[in-house]
Amino acid sequence: MVRLITHNMLACHVKNCTKDNFPLAFSEVELVIRPAPENLDFIQRFLPKLDWSALVDTARSLGDETLPEQMPEQWSEDQLKALHHVLMEMHVEEGNMTCRGCGHVYPISNGIPNMLLAEHEVGR
Amino acid sequence: MPQYILRISHEHLTFRIPSLLSISQVFKFPIKIISQNKYRGLLIVELEKEEHVHSILDRHTLVLSASELLAEGSSYDDLHNDLRQHLEILDPYKQASFKFTLEGSGHRVVEARITDIVESFDYTALEGPIRMKNPEVEFVVFEDYELEVANTTEARFARDGKFTRVYFGRRIGMGKARLLAASHEVKHRAYYGNTSMEAHMAFLMAGQTLPAPGKIIYDPFVGTGSMLYASAHWGAYVFGSDIDGRQIKGKMKEKEGKPGIFRAAEQYGLSDLLLDCLTYDVTKSPMRRGGWIDAIITDPPYGVRAGAKRQGRKEGAKKALKTEPVLMPDGRYSHEMPGYQPPSRPYELANLTLDLVQLARYLLVPGGRLVFFLPTVTEDYQEIDVPVVEGMRELKVDQGSVQDFGKWGRRLITMEKTAQDDGVPPKFEDHEEFDINNQPEHLPGHHGFRERYATGFRSRSKSGNPSPSTTTPASPPTLEPVVTVDSTNKV
Repeated sequence: MVRLITHNMLACHVKNCTKDNFPLAFSEVELVIRPAPENLDFIQRFLPKLDWSALVDTARSLGDETLPEQMPEQWSEDQLKALHHVLMEMHVEEGNMTCRGCGHVYPISNGIPNMLLAEHEVGR
Repeated sequence: MPQYILRISHEHLTFRIPSLLSISQVFKFPIKIISQNKYRGLLIVELEKEEHVHSILDRHTLVLSASELLAEGSSYDDLHNDLRQHLEILDPYKQASFKFTLEGSGHRVVEARITDIVESFDYTALEGPIRMKNPEVEFVVFEDYELEVANTTEARFARDGKFTRVYFGRRIGMGKARLLAASHEVKHRAYYGNTSMEAHMAFLMAGQTLPAPGKIIYDPFVGTGSMLYASAHWGAYVFGSDIDGRQIKGKMKEKEGKPGIFRAAEQYGLSDLLLDCLTYDVTKSPMRRGGWIDAIITDPPYGVRAGAKRQGRKEGAKKALKTEPVLMPDGRYSHEMPGYQPPSRPYELANLTLDLVQLARYLLVPGGRLVFFLPTVTEDYQEIDVPVVEGMRELKVDQGSVQDFGKWGRRLITMEKTAQDDGVPPKFEDHEEFDINNQPEHLPGHHGFRERYATGFRSRSKSGNPSPSTTTPASPPTLEPVVTVDSTNKV
């Protein structure tokens, strides 16, 4: 797991890490595609919650080039389907998510990201 | 408008009306409760359309059956008089094959009386054939009795026919959601733990989140995932987080093994709806933004089986919290070693509860719901114990939904986000109003719950301490496994 819809919501939260803490960069990724039933209404409603450029960059870093640089103003069904594929069907099963700001590495194993902070990163 | 007879189980009595109202919210239909007493075995409601009855039968885990109300009275004479006033309502069923059923609520009726009862309906002049198997119409006579104990045959016969009210209806269907609890029973689940929520209660909770396809529902103390399965069953996308990743994964024996929660989701055919499970401390959350989750559902760890934890070190602990990474002799940092476990400290329940409501205020969409269990010491509970946060309001019917275990109980709290904006993320700092050192006038009935459970709920006033948590020894007392928790709902 770690679908891109989830990834788009995650930022580094190490204490005092506020610069370049989003999006987290994937590396050493084991990617799995799992077809999932479409709910294009949901995808459309969720658009305003997404950070588009982060999503496009991340999808491209994983080899998916289907998303346009700019978020379309009008969506065709095919475009929504492509977005559904990126958000819901691409799963990162193994790998790392690295903060480009502070360098903290969040490892993913068996589809579950470990986002606990180290003791010195917690702060009070 | 047509009225309907819902036959409802007496189980989880204070959950029945909230569940009903939530179903009407999900499917956006108005519902009016006609019965004066909402807590009997038969409940009369008014609905616009029969399809709404089917929504209730599909979703309400406590509803046994539903029928269209055709006539009623305090006696059979009364009922027949009522029916004679508007006999035309039977016209659509004049030619249909039919049968009569006699049911009692609060009493097991003597079925032999059915023959006489059917004969007393002679004047309706139904022309269709009587068919006991698969009739086109099933008419039901409901006799409503006071709840009394009658455990001998003599007692049963003595009170037979001494009902307080009798209803005549046409059966629309039987409750389908009743079977859900059985099909999701924890002991048959591919993965569960000792904190897994009982399946029926999980469904009652999930119902309060207004689950539906295209919604996102989040459990911040996901544990072994009980809340996710029930919420996803109604088509919602779900995800969860927990500070303890071992709960999410379980023991993965085989090399190709999957985390426990994923296996259980697969068993129920819900893998597509389970978005993700993440390991993090909700008070140190990586969520980038607010205002995108439709509902938060959770059973926070309150200490009967597991206590809540958060990242950090206890104040006054032997070792102070490290502020710099530690370099190991081999040149690596300690936190980058495999199997590194950062320290954690207890998360006191009053703080957790207030944080949870503030978190919901931030993460939920406007109108989104927060649903959680709040355990409280019965003696100390006051209505003000439910945290008040600007932009969130509690929804409750009468005294609220409670599971009563005697000295303590757990209350199912349902809140709705009334604010339109996201606001700011909560700070998750210890709240001063719950700090014993500030000598607060009132501490919520759930403050220091874990310690109070372990010490048999000694009264705060008698012990001379506002809360035993002030006198907690360095290591909290170990809890015996809970053997007898009465899960039946005493009212």
